[in-house]
Amino acid sequence: MQNIEGILHLEYFLLLAAALFCIGIYGLVTSRNVVRVLMSVELLLNAVNINLMGFSNFIDPVGIRGQVFAVFVITVAAAEAAVGLAIVLAIYRNRNTVDMEQFNLLKW
Amino acid sequence: MTDVFARIAWLIPCYPLVGMVLSMFWFPSLARRTGPRPAGYINLAMTGLALVHAALGFIEFGTRAPLTLELPWLQVADLTLTLPLEVSAVNLGAIVLVTSINLLAQLYAIGYLEMDWGWARFFALLALFEAGMCLLALCDSLFFSYIILEILTLGTYLLVGFWFNQSLVVTGARDAFLTKRVGDLLLLMGVLALYPIAGTWNFSELAEWAQTAEVDPTLMSLVGLALLAGPMGKCAQFPLHLWLDEAMEGPYPSTVLRNSVVVATGAWVLTKLEPVLALSPVVMATVTAIGIVTALGGTAIAIAQVDVKRSLSYLTSAYMGLVFVAVGTQQSHVAFLLLLTHALAVVALLMSTGSIVLNSISQDLTKLGGLWSRRPISGLSFVAGAAGLIAMPPLGGFWAALALINGVWEAYPVLAGILLVVNALAAFGVTRVFCLIFGNRPQQMSERSPENLWPVTLPMVFAAALTLHLPLVLQSLGLLPSFTAIDKGVALLLVISSVWGCGLGSALYLGPAAKPIRLPWTFVQNLLASDFYTPRIYRASIVGGVDIISRVVDWCDRHVVDGLVNLIGLTSLFGGEALKYGNTGKTQFYVLTIALGLLVITLFITRSFWLDFAALAGS
Repeated sequence: MQNIEGILHLEYFLLLAAALFCIGIYGLVTSRNVVRVLMSVELLLNAVNINLMGFSNFIDPVGIRGQVFAVFVITVAAAEAAVGLAIVLAIYRNRNTVDMEQFNLLKW
Repeated sequence: MTDVFARIAWLIPCYPLVGMVLSMFWFPSLARRTGPRPAGYINLAMTGLALVHAALGFIEFGTRAPLTLELPWLQVADLTLTLPLEVSAVNLGAIVLVTSINLLAQLYAIGYLEMDWGWARFFALLALFEAGMCLLALCDSLFFSYIILEILTLGTYLLVGFWFNQSLVVTGARDAFLTKRVGDLLLLMGVLALYPIAGTWNFSELAEWAQTAEVDPTLMSLVGLALLAGPMGKCAQFPLHLWLDEAMEGPYPSTVLRNSVVVATGAWVLTKLEPVLALSPVVMATVTAIGIVTALGGTAIAIAQVDVKRSLSYLTSAYMGLVFVAVGTQQSHVAFLLLLTHALAVVALLMSTGSIVLNSISQDLTKLGGLWSRRPISGLSFVAGAAGLIAMPPLGGFWAALALINGVWEAYPVLAGILLVVNALAAFGVTRVFCLIFGNRPQQMSERSPENLWPVTLPMVFAAALTLHLPLVLQSLGLLPSFTAIDKGVALLLVISSVWGCGLGSALYLGPAAKPIRLPWTFVQNLLASDFYTPRIYRASIVGGVDIISRVVDWCDRHVVDGLVNLIGLTSLFGGEALKYGNTGKTQFYVLTIALGLLVITLFITRSFWLDFAALAGS
């Protein structure tokens, strides 16, 4: 434990989470497939979870409230994915496509 | 209470005003069935009432000291405006003159406007003029005189524009209004500038003040010149004289009235202002110069006209110029005498020519002729008027001209010479008109020309009679010099100049010379015939300048001011049009903007941290 703490710092986890978040944002913005957009959202949530876990381990190892939050986030993420995929299906049945570029009814 | 009529002299302007209001009931739009004639009769009666009142007042008042009445008008802060009325022999005499000429002109109009439906409008306007002139004669305040002059300017506009379906009438009325307005506005400047200097607008108090006043000569010159501009426009003096020519488009009876008395209103005010103007020699020299130029120019132009009305209207300008000369050489009494003689003589002249025009139709002198044998009454009236106008003893014009020349003989011999030339030119002018209308053989337009019906002929004869009786009236009032006091040499010169003018005129126009007479220098003839091209000069200078400036200002308003305001609106419009493309309709783009927005906000909040970080990295 001492050894690991000597190598691993909180900053590394946070930077990893931030990098994952950036990748997620990138995927969210650039993907044309709706499913990949949902996957990118999952990446974002996972980046958040890494943050929560990192803070929980390094700053609050006794209360580990971050871990509880992470459990909630995973739960909600699953629910959100279910709803999201249902929406995608609903759209697909109407529009026969999952291309994000085609869903622009609001275009000026 | 011997002078009861003089005490209620303020009622005199009210009679014609009542007539004016009453005549409106006979507008064709109101009195649809009865015709407009009662309007004329009512006004004639009202004018008669005013004349009787004024004459009784004049007779019983005699030559007593002036009586002053004051009617309070309004009081604001430290300015109290009261309308001071001065009842004096001169003022009552002027009112008698005004009302009697009005009576003649209105009776004349009843005959002249026989086939016209606009009596209500016409007589209402004549009554407005009469009321204005009576009040002006009584008024002893420069400020109220200005107000009356302005009302008369409006009256001129409406009266010249009487037959407004003729295009030349509309332009003539426009020019008459604007030209006189310009003069009146400058007069207003003078009136306003005079108050702080003199502290009063009453003519009598101004005269007292002027005796002991010590003022900056430059300031007084400017004020004097401004005061001069009003009468200049009113009396149709050069260069504000074109309007009188164009005002000849109006009906003949109103012309009679205007040329005899209305143009004299400006001269009246000028004469009353003489003590103030005399404070500055520059102003007096200007008055005299304007008078001379107008007298010479007016008589010269009158000779070259083919329109009988215009030929006489330029003579009116010229004689008002003589009044200016009289005022400029400080001879107010001569100015009053000139106004009186000119008014009566011009009434006779214009009524006579109007009677010719009424049934010969043409006003063109070259198309008339040979009327002496068939129109003797008109011809004799013309002769009386012409002799009364120029210096032909023993008629009135002679005494006025004699007094004028006597006054300037010692000090300005050149001026006296010019006045003799003016007299000769005027004599030539009236003789020419007479010979062209009454002399020679009848032409097509004047072949069958009967004498007119009595309402036209009677006032004409009366006017001629008044002109002929004027010397007797003057004598009974003690206004004529005694026979021994007359400068025989000057009198002889005057008579010679008149006789020379008349003789040359008759020789040229009754003799065998080919008519129409052509001068060897066509340029000079055309120059005089077209009034020194004054319309073109106006159009090139003042009218052109104002036109260009107003176009530029209008363009600036339309394009610069409106443009700037519209630019703001257009910018918003195009901004909205352009920025709406930010709503791409793509969800991912919205996510990108949210992410970028968050990033920017985060960077902004944490900028101190980044700055510290940069400082650390630098060191």
